[in-house]
Amino acid sequence: MASSQHEQVLVEEKSFARILTFNRTKQLNALSFQMISRLLELFLAYEDDPNVKLIILKGKGRSFCAGGDVAAVVHDIRAGGWRAGANFFMKEFTLNYLMATFSKPQVSILNGIVMGGGNGASMHGRFRVATENSLFAMPETALGLFPDVGASYFLSRLPGFFGEYLGLTGARLDGAEMFACGLATHFVPSAKLPMLEAALCAVDSSDPAIISSIIGQYSERPPLKEQSVYNRLDVIDRCFSQKTVEEILSALEREAVDRREGWISTTIQTLKKASPTSLKISLRSIRVGRLQGVGPCLVREYRMVCHVMRGEFSKDFFEGCRAILLDKDKNPKWEPSKLELVADSTVDSYFSKVKNEDWEDLKLPARPKFNLPPYVIAKL
Amino acid sequence: MDRAYQRTRILTNHLIPNSPAQTVCLTSNECLSYSPPELSEKYAFDVGEMRRLMDGHDVEERDRLFGLIIQSKLFNPRVRGGKVFVSPDYNQSMEQQREMTWKRIEYLSERGVFRGWMTGKGEDVEMKRFACFEVLGLFDHSISIKLGVHFFLWGGAIQFFGTKHHHDKWLRDTENYLIKGCFAMTELGHGSNVRGIETVTTYDSNTGEFIINTPCESAQKYWIGGAAKHATHTIVFSQLNINGTNEGVHALIAQIRDADGNVCPNIRIADCGHKIGLNGVDNGRIWFDNVRVPRENLLNSVADVSPDGKYLSSIKDPDQRFAAFLSPLTAGRVNIAVNAVYQSKVGLAIAIRYALTRRAFSLKANEPEVLLLDYPSHQRRLLPLLAKIYAMSFAANYLKMLYVKRTPQSNKTIHVVSSSFKATITWSNMQILQECREACGGQGLKTENRVGHLKAEHDVQSTFEGDNNILMQQVSKALFAEYVAAQKRNKVFKGLGLEHMNKPCPVIPSQLTSTTLRCSQFQMDALCLRERELLNRFVADVSQCLARGESKEHSFNTNYQLAEDLGKAFSDQAIFQTFVEAEATLAAGSLKDVLGMVRSLYALTCLEDVTYLRYGYLSVDNAAAVRGEITKLCSELRPHALALVSSFGIPDAFLSPIAFNWVDANSWSSVQH
Repeated sequence: MASSQHEQVLVEEKSFARILTFNRTKQLNALSFQMISRLLELFLAYEDDPNVKLIILKGKGRSFCAGGDVAAVVHDIRAGGWRAGANFFMKEFTLNYLMATFSKPQVSILNGIVMGGGNGASMHGRFRVATENSLFAMPETALGLFPDVGASYFLSRLPGFFGEYLGLTGARLDGAEMFACGLATHFVPSAKLPMLEAALCAVDSSDPAIISSIIGQYSERPPLKEQSVYNRLDVIDRCFSQKTVEEILSALEREAVDRREGWISTTIQTLKKASPTSLKISLRSIRVGRLQGVGPCLVREYRMVCHVMRGEFSKDFFEGCRAILLDKDKNPKWEPSKLELVADSTVDSYFSKVKNEDWEDLKLPARPKFNLPPYVIAKL
Repeated sequence: MDRAYQRTRILTNHLIPNSPAQTVCLTSNECLSYSPPELSEKYAFDVGEMRRLMDGHDVEERDRLFGLIIQSKLFNPRVRGGKVFVSPDYNQSMEQQREMTWKRIEYLSERGVFRGWMTGKGEDVEMKRFACFEVLGLFDHSISIKLGVHFFLWGGAIQFFGTKHHHDKWLRDTENYLIKGCFAMTELGHGSNVRGIETVTTYDSNTGEFIINTPCESAQKYWIGGAAKHATHTIVFSQLNINGTNEGVHALIAQIRDADGNVCPNIRIADCGHKIGLNGVDNGRIWFDNVRVPRENLLNSVADVSPDGKYLSSIKDPDQRFAAFLSPLTAGRVNIAVNAVYQSKVGLAIAIRYALTRRAFSLKANEPEVLLLDYPSHQRRLLPLLAKIYAMSFAANYLKMLYVKRTPQSNKTIHVVSSSFKATITWSNMQILQECREACGGQGLKTENRVGHLKAEHDVQSTFEGDNNILMQQVSKALFAEYVAAQKRNKVFKGLGLEHMNKPCPVIPSQLTSTTLRCSQFQMDALCLRERELLNRFVADVSQCLARGESKEHSFNTNYQLAEDLGKAFSDQAIFQTFVEAEATLAAGSLKDVLGMVRSLYALTCLEDVTYLRYGYLSVDNAAAVRGEITKLCSELRPHALALVSSFGIPDAFLSPIAFNWVDANSWSSVQH
């Protein structure tokens, strides 16, 4: 029953619970195509299995999951063309949708790094448990990509314009901040995780109220650090509610003059280092996503990511991967190099269908018409 | 343990053969659990493309504004059934509602939403402004009226009646809300008949000031939006009396409050009190007691008074002078018509989504109950209204374009079209909301479900910026004038969509087949035929009265029944024309196919109108064929109902709990929350 040690996803069956553990510690549990396929297979099987009532997701080592294995994707594209990359994202987004609309609760234990694709594998589930070791980020704009994996759904639903802030800057959050803004539903000190896990394994129900109260028994209300950006939500709202990235930047610059707070200049620096194209499509994506259900968000993001992989409007993704992941010179040369050089019409193109023979929009897997729990229905 | 348990169970089964192997689990019945319509209904066309066609412009700007509203606590977000809904708390007192409306405006102002609204120029700016109004109107009528008074009436009066120094002095401050404007036209004794207002202004050449007075109680300014609480300045409409000569109605600027909100000397203000809707707007009454304002405060684009007190006007004809003063009301009417379309969209989206999830009665015992929208009668109630609102969407877009592309030559057309569309669309809005309310049953009565409450909020639309009945009479009068002018000059008809009058009279086949009924040319012919015949008849009857020596006014007044029918015929035809034009922009495909069915349903619903039988334009058999085709179209459009309301592009948060998971929204756990 126990999976062999070299498997990238370990599976444990504990009564009605299934514990899935990411086991690719050298890569900080970055999601490989193989892991995504395996998860998809497992989730589909669990959906119809009456002996499964709860799924627990966690990571081995100091990371829950550091994201999709982008380096491998770039390698595949170099070898087999953009469709190879598109295939990876198609599978990953399908998994995201399945998790978002899954009829049984998923508890993700985020005891470490949770970034990019790692958020896609956890934020759509019903319960997200942060700890003092949690480290959240959606760092895609620094990589020439955009917050994908359904981030335009879950970021846009954070309080005020915090989602725009996280998605554009790639800012990092600790566990307390994740809990405060709602990315995490609970905060449990890591020392209590073994007990929590044991308690969850004894559950014989899919009722979210019951599961929530069990996690609640081990939870704490962590204090926010005094210098936490979440305490500056008023400033973030004023700046990140602006219409364009350019206006967001100038609003931040005005605030910087008035306040001289370190985080504001850090934010400005980060935005200036990110890919201009990425910033613009990310902002649009979050704004549009705010008004869409999770399915349409993923369909749209799949269009966007296909355009990014094709590189017809910008090759920033490849440049970003070169500078950050491969050469590691941390000095990407973006093209277009400035915000004002990215035309609105170019931004529009990222949201259009890919004009390529036999390319199709993401096909979302069919979901049961009845018996979906209310928290799933609300996301449709 | 498990093995021992299994053994005993097998043994038990042997001993008691009929004992149920498993306890029967009580699962919730399918028809009682909520199933989202998205999972069963299919979209046969791209709803995003349909939305772009219907919204027509500034889709991104709209979405940004939707987002600004949803993300702010000021807009009263509430979670029901796991979803967030925004809508004002109408259970607040009138005073609280007014304060909230004002706070929301401040928030939007700080976010730069109104940037360029007064100081910007061009069609794009005006269209974007319309788009923002449509979005804000979807949140709440009060906020859009409050903004409408400030920007379109107060700001519009300064733009249209003022000259450069007024623009320089007031427009930027208006845009930035450094001043808050209102518009004092209506009086207790005079509403639609603006020329009869009794407020009087005289001029004192010694001090170079105008003196404004409310000479009697019926002259008090009434229903002045913004006057009761917030406004600092107002446009005052009054009779201008210069050296004993009444020069007619003119507009001036007067300050009514200081920056701290204290009412200025010689001004008295009272509250209009609680209303059946729109309680977020502070409607007030104003009396002027020898209020002195500088000479420059006369809005002088049409007429001026020299420092020594001489009246000067470039327009000699007082009728034309007066007409020039009413032009900002056109923008208001455009706004009202467009806004009414969006209110109907809210009602229909809610009622149709509800009808796709709510079941009632089984056809056979033990069968699941039937979805409301699967009843032909329910389709018949809602789908023709859906078709109507599609038509009116295109009409509203046409009207906006007509307005922003205005020229001095197009003023008459704008006046006639905006009057007829405003009346037709706002009346239809009330009818649609009522039907939607009833279609939602008891749930329609809950304020949080919006449909019922929207009726009270928008009832006023048939009255303000021109009483609908009076507007429609003006339409008929304008058509009469057009007819007489063409006759007199022995010229062809040109303008107001009357060109069809130059062609031979269309013929309606005595046997109407389904193909004919769905043909847009036939539909157009049938609508033109009615307009043509009614116009001929109206002109003949009015002319007969005139020939008997009756006055023009009396002749129109006595032929009011025909005038009403004619106004409606004009409207229906003009609206249909905009539908046909919108459809023509589409390439062949599923979108166009579905839209074609919607267009047919709209046209046939018009043809079902009683006038076709009253005047014999359709035979009884033909009328029956029309009705038969309507039911067929309803059942053919049923599968597209969800896609058609999703194409409205209204975010979920602006609909209401019964449009979504109404079971969970009403669950016990939500009560405890």
